[in-house]
Amino acid sequence: MILPREGNCSRTSQPARYTAAVSTSSFRFDQLTYSYGPRRVLDRVAGTTESGEMLLIEGSNGSGKSTLIRCLAGLQRPQAGSIQWIDQGRELDDVARRRGVGWVGPDLSFYEALSAAENLDFFARLRGLAEDPAVEILERLGVPPQRLVGALSSGMLQRLRWSFALQHRPGMLLLDEPFQNLDSAGEDATRALLRQHLEAGGMAIVASPIDLGLASGRRLVLDPTRSGGGA
Amino acid sequence: MKTLLRWSLWLWIALCIVGAFLYAPLAEGFVGQSSRILFFHVPMAWCSFVAFITAGVHAIRYLARRDPAQDRAAEAAVQLGLLFCVLATVTGAIWARVMWGAYWNWDPRQASIVIVLVFYAAYLVLRDAIEDPSTRARLASVYAVLGLVVSPFFFFVLPRIVEFTLHPDSVINQRGSVDMESRMLQVLLAATVGFTALFFWLHRLQIRISTLRMHRESEELVS
Amino acid sequence: MWWFRQVRAVFVKDWRTELRTRHALHTIALFAVSTLLTVSLALGPAGVSAETRTSTLPVILWIILLFAAAAGLPRCFVAEEEGHTAAALRLTAAPSAVFAGKCAFAVALLVGLELLLTPLFLALMGLEIADAAMLVTALVLGALGLGTASVLVAAMVAQARGRGALFPVLSFPLLIPLLLLAVELTRGAVAGSLPPGVAEQLLLYDASLIVAGLMLFPVIWNP
Repeated sequence: MILPREGNCSRTSQPARYTAAVSTSSFRFDQLTYSYGPRRVLDRVAGTTESGEMLLIEGSNGSGKSTLIRCLAGLQRPQAGSIQWIDQGRELDDVARRRGVGWVGPDLSFYEALSAAENLDFFARLRGLAEDPAVEILERLGVPPQRLVGALSSGMLQRLRWSFALQHRPGMLLLDEPFQNLDSAGEDATRALLRQHLEAGGMAIVASPIDLGLASGRRLVLDPTRSGGGA
Repeated sequence: MKTLLRWSLWLWIALCIVGAFLYAPLAEGFVGQSSRILFFHVPMAWCSFVAFITAGVHAIRYLARRDPAQDRAAEAAVQLGLLFCVLATVTGAIWARVMWGAYWNWDPRQASIVIVLVFYAAYLVLRDAIEDPSTRARLASVYAVLGLVVSPFFFFVLPRIVEFTLHPDSVINQRGSVDMESRMLQVLLAATVGFTALFFWLHRLQIRISTLRMHRESEELVS
Repeated sequence: MWWFRQVRAVFVKDWRTELRTRHALHTIALFAVSTLLTVSLALGPAGVSAETRTSTLPVILWIILLFAAAAGLPRCFVAEEEGHTAAALRLTAAPSAVFAGKCAFAVALLVGLELLLTPLFLALMGLEIADAAMLVTALVLGALGLGTASVLVAAMVAQARGRGALFPVLSFPLLIPLLLLAVELTRGAVAGSLPPGVAEQLLLYDASLIVAGLMLFPVIWNP
């Protein structure tokens, strides 16, 4: 599904112990509309994805990709439209959806006064996790766990975002520019995590302004000229 | 139909004004003609109360349905409520000067009306400070609901500060019975009904204005 | 049970970041102490005359506490929004648990401040306390209400512009009943006698703020 890149780093070749907790589910959104005041950024956007599949969202800067991802995560409320996540025949409400997604985005930040491990430990407690797989992911991605988040480089911060997103074995990964600031080793490792997530039956929605070289059955192109008119 | 209603409202209020000055007798124990202010002061205080309750109801409806029209209605009600609140405070202060010798006495009702005034002025300041319309509507509605929760405390906390009140028990006294000359009571009730109708009419106008303004702003942005 | 674990996690996290950065701790403590020094220096060696001490000095104590809270507590949410950590918190924690954890943090901070400020205040102002238990009741119930209201308003202010100035504008009208009741209770502690029902009303105020907060906070917190 994902085009393998050259020069895989050694970490990704380790046996996969990460498994997503879902078997069959679907995620669809329809007629999503979002305006910042009178400025409409999303105009009746629709899309769908299923277990083990990935939806790619493409579009230039300012076409509303981040807004769409934030709406899907439940961090912004669209003015109109519906979002429906059915997990094993059961529909998840807003609260369950917020808790159930793994979100990576440029505006995901952590407590700078706490170390990477302390941050993840805090979120593990909030998520009610008995054992925290993020520690392993952190190690696998090579993030120094004891370093304060304020002292992490932007690439390390991106790796930490991935660890946060995968911490609770989410059924849905919402990735907004998932590989930004990553070096090639980091990109390979996170691509491997995404592949494993999909192979284990998870879903993913990936937004990026550039072609990430991800093979995907479904594509959604956001066109700012169409949605800017405020029809 | 609407025109008829509007004209009957004008007529009703005109009759109230005439009644207040010519029909109703003067109350005992009041300086000069000062008791006549009652027919305007009480209905205006009542209207601000109605307006803030209306705002609270629209705020709760907004939070339940997230319909921006409900938020505009709440904002309009607060604006009008503030107008009536200021008018009631000013008429009250003028009357207090005549009767008690000072514009301001920290009478419990004076104090509570001025706190309510500050509270809803803060509501408008909060609206001004938020740019995103849906965030603005959401937080302003929460603040209006908080007002409903806290305001009952004004009524039994403030009398502690000034244990005695000079304020006349205007309509309903401690015994729970209506103790007022019947012609005065007729005019007062008629004025209260008239002012309440006036409030709801102004409220609808204000909602229409804010809706039109919103449409114009979005049209300007598109063109 | 899980809810309580979330509350504890938020509380522990807030204290841990606070002890490392000391934003609120330093601001609140220094603000309170320097205000106290300013007031006591401005009053001079004569202080407040004997007849009015009981009624005046509790007011000064609570005004200092109120302003110290306004100076330090907004940070507890402003830091989450400015640091963009609010999004991660929204995705992982139940809103009511965030509210309860933040309230616990704010109340603990205020109680700590009172432990520092009150003895200093009593010593500098030469105020004798007749009923120490009543003073403790006033301080604890006051901190509970002040902390809860501050957390609610801080969560709103954090999403608006002009945060520093907006916080007192929104919180003071809400806090007037609390302030009056806490002052009354402190006066009772100084005088050794108290009109009945003050502590009960203060408790009722705190309880209604907490209940309203638990209901309204999810709306403030989630878009």
